[in-house]
Amino acid sequence: MSDVTRRPTSVSRTVAFGGAMVAVLAATVGSIYGFGIGVVGLAVLALGLARGNRDAIDVGSLAIFAGVVAGGLQGESVELTVLATIGTVLAWDLGHDATDLGEQLGREAETARLEAVHVLSSLLIGLVAATLGYGVYVFAAGGQPIAAVVLFVLAGAALVVALGSGRDSGGWTGNANSRRR
Amino acid sequence: MSVRTGWLALGLLSFFGGVAVLSGAVGLGVGRGALVAVACGLLIGAIATLSRRRGSREQTGTPDPERTYRVPAPGSSLADAIGQLRETQGVYTAHSRRFVDGLRTGVVAVLTRFEGRSAEEAQGRLEAGEWTDDRRAAALLSKSVDPPSSSLRRRLSAAVNRETTFRNGIRRAGASIARIGYGDGSAASDSNPLPKYEETDSTRTDRDPRTTSKRLRGTEHARERATEYWTGVGAVALFAVGIGALAESPAVVLAGVVGVGYAGFARAFDPPVPKITLDRAVSNESPEPGDEVDVTLTVTNETDRLLPDLRLVDGVPPGLTVTDGTARIGTALRPNESVALEYTVTARRGTHEFDPALVLTRDPSRSSERQVYVGEDTSIVSAPVLRPIAAPVPLRATAASFAGRLQTTDGGTGTAFHSVREYRRNDPLNRIDWNRHARTGELATLEFHEERAARVVLLLDTRIDAYLAPSPDDRHAVDRSVAAAGRTAATLLENGDTVGLAAIGPGRSTAEEGASSKQEPCWLAPAAGRHHRVEFERLLATHSQFSAVAPKRGTQWFGQLRTLRRRFSAETQILFFSPLCDAGSLEIAQKLEARGYPVTVVSPDPTTDRTTAQQLAGVARRIRQFDLQRAGIPVVDWEAGESIDDVFARVDAGDMR
Repeated sequence: MSDVTRRPTSVSRTVAFGGAMVAVLAATVGSIYGFGIGVVGLAVLALGLARGNRDAIDVGSLAIFAGVVAGGLQGESVELTVLATIGTVLAWDLGHDATDLGEQLGREAETARLEAVHVLSSLLIGLVAATLGYGVYVFAAGGQPIAAVVLFVLAGAALVVALGSGRDSGGWTGNANSRRR
Repeated sequence: MSVRTGWLALGLLSFFGGVAVLSGAVGLGVGRGALVAVACGLLIGAIATLSRRRGSREQTGTPDPERTYRVPAPGSSLADAIGQLRETQGVYTAHSRRFVDGLRTGVVAVLTRFEGRSAEEAQGRLEAGEWTDDRRAAALLSKSVDPPSSSLRRRLSAAVNRETTFRNGIRRAGASIARIGYGDGSAASDSNPLPKYEETDSTRTDRDPRTTSKRLRGTEHARERATEYWTGVGAVALFAVGIGALAESPAVVLAGVVGVGYAGFARAFDPPVPKITLDRAVSNESPEPGDEVDVTLTVTNETDRLLPDLRLVDGVPPGLTVTDGTARIGTALRPNESVALEYTVTARRGTHEFDPALVLTRDPSRSSERQVYVGEDTSIVSAPVLRPIAAPVPLRATAASFAGRLQTTDGGTGTAFHSVREYRRNDPLNRIDWNRHARTGELATLEFHEERAARVVLLLDTRIDAYLAPSPDDRHAVDRSVAAAGRTAATLLENGDTVGLAAIGPGRSTAEEGASSKQEPCWLAPAAGRHHRVEFERLLATHSQFSAVAPKRGTQWFGQLRTLRRRFSAETQILFFSPLCDAGSLEIAQKLEARGYPVTVVSPDPTTDRTTAQQLAGVARRIRQFDLQRAGIPVVDWEAGESIDDVFARVDAGDMR
């Protein structure tokens, strides 16, 4: 009798770990602090990926991202920071994806194609967003008034909240904690 | 929605303000202080949002259709097992919490049965603690017995942990009772470790072995839900933007912008409405039990749009187990594309209908999920094999009126030698002992065992109390009974006997919800012949009372038994297949015997002894067996590892056990 192994699936898990490695390495270039925090995050993330623990994946990815931010603050290279960010988001996204798939379908199920679609779509979104942001940065490089920066930041925040608030008003039912491990 | 519009307006306003400041149209006197304030506000907002993420993730859990229903072992709880022991003494207070009283009843029950004591004598031995060598067990059940002196450490731990001490006492008492119940030498079982107090089985899952119990054709949309997959990414992005703005680091601000991109991605899509068709092919629709059946499920995307995320769990029938491959797949499907899923199931006896497949689709960002059931009717019917058994069926020797193969103890015509008697006028010539006549000149007549046809009804106990197995994945007693009944019928039919079939089990009123056919209780009048044999096989395979899956509720069997009694003609022998694990089965056998039908019980043994409760349930079963045998009803005990051929051969050799 074959039991379902409800553990993270392999393809997403491998890519997630790869993304995290890229993020840590890219963040290292600028800062020793970034490296330190990143390595701790990588360890926690690896644990989460092995066990299928969502909290560990969250904490590990956040730590890596903190490392990336530290690297960005100290370092000079904008490009490496953006690359590291994409790596971090990939690690986090695919880590959860692997956990979801593992829990719903199990490790034995044929899921390679689905995972490939996820890897590609995730990577594509990161690249497009980074390209747009980087384009604006290159175009507007120079001394902007500080008030403009504040207003842009406010604009970004308000837009994110506006986009995100649909989530709360959706009226979905269901026990939030019942599916968690 | 109004809140959302407000934030949107604020965002747009700020954006255009920023553009205006940049272009120099408006000059705002904002310094670093304002920037710090805004950044700090963002940080607080980000942390608040992040803390909401914990525990908010949602996804549809999937069942385990690969598994079969798990059936319990007899004695699932100590209260239940002790209740059974009390019932054997005629005390009907099941589920009593007073374990010690129940165990005392149990001791008297085994002493009166297996050691031949009278009730008073048994009570006396119990009070004096002479019934067992185990002083602790004796002390637990009798106040007049002092527990053996123990070390200081043991006494200290007993004082600290009374629960453990009590449990150990129960375990010891249970083992002592079982030792009498099984009649082995007590020295031999001393080396056995005590069974556990209760089962701690970590492999047990509470996942349903069915995708859904609904029957449906086509597609049913169950629900749509948000998975909260990306919750928090926007907050982290804002955090980065805030830090970057504070530190005037463009790299960090850009990192935040990438995060905002993902947050937008999460909101961009709706989950697609899947329109898929299933096509299920099985390699063999009527396999023999134990055969492997290959199942090929073809999933086709019928829409002209891409299905980016499809997760499917096939509705493997609850009575079948997947032995090779997996009944799940996750894939993306282009328009009109198909994907095939292959796996192997091992057939078990019975009718198995596939449940609808569970289909989950998500949008490309995986932030919302749609749950759909897709039905496709497929069924596998696995009939038991009607192969005769070499050994004779253990029937009661009783006279019926038609010639057949059942040898009676009466002398008469037949083939097996019985006796020689004096010649009487009109004795047939061919039965005169001519050898003796040649030797002595006297006439004598040979007598043979008279052979009669037996009219037998195979009565199967398929009440919920019979769905029991030593371990959850073993064949349960009903399954074993049905298989044995098929082979017994084949044997009897081959010998020219007439065989009927009946069952006491889930009747029409308690038929399982959603069952395809709500049938009358099974009844096939005794008959013989080829057509009858085919009908017999069909009923065993398809009748709902012989379902491979346990009924949900108990059965009102009194009415069923009354109907059956009216149907049995006189001189019908009854072969009763029951695990004898509750008082009801005992009562059925006794009632039938009391009405004058010779009953033989064939009892597949589902008991085990991993826990004290299971051990005591085993003792209770042995007591029932003993009581039946004492009332003159033969009980054929059929252990879990044995084949029915071995059992009948053993009984034929005279070992009833």
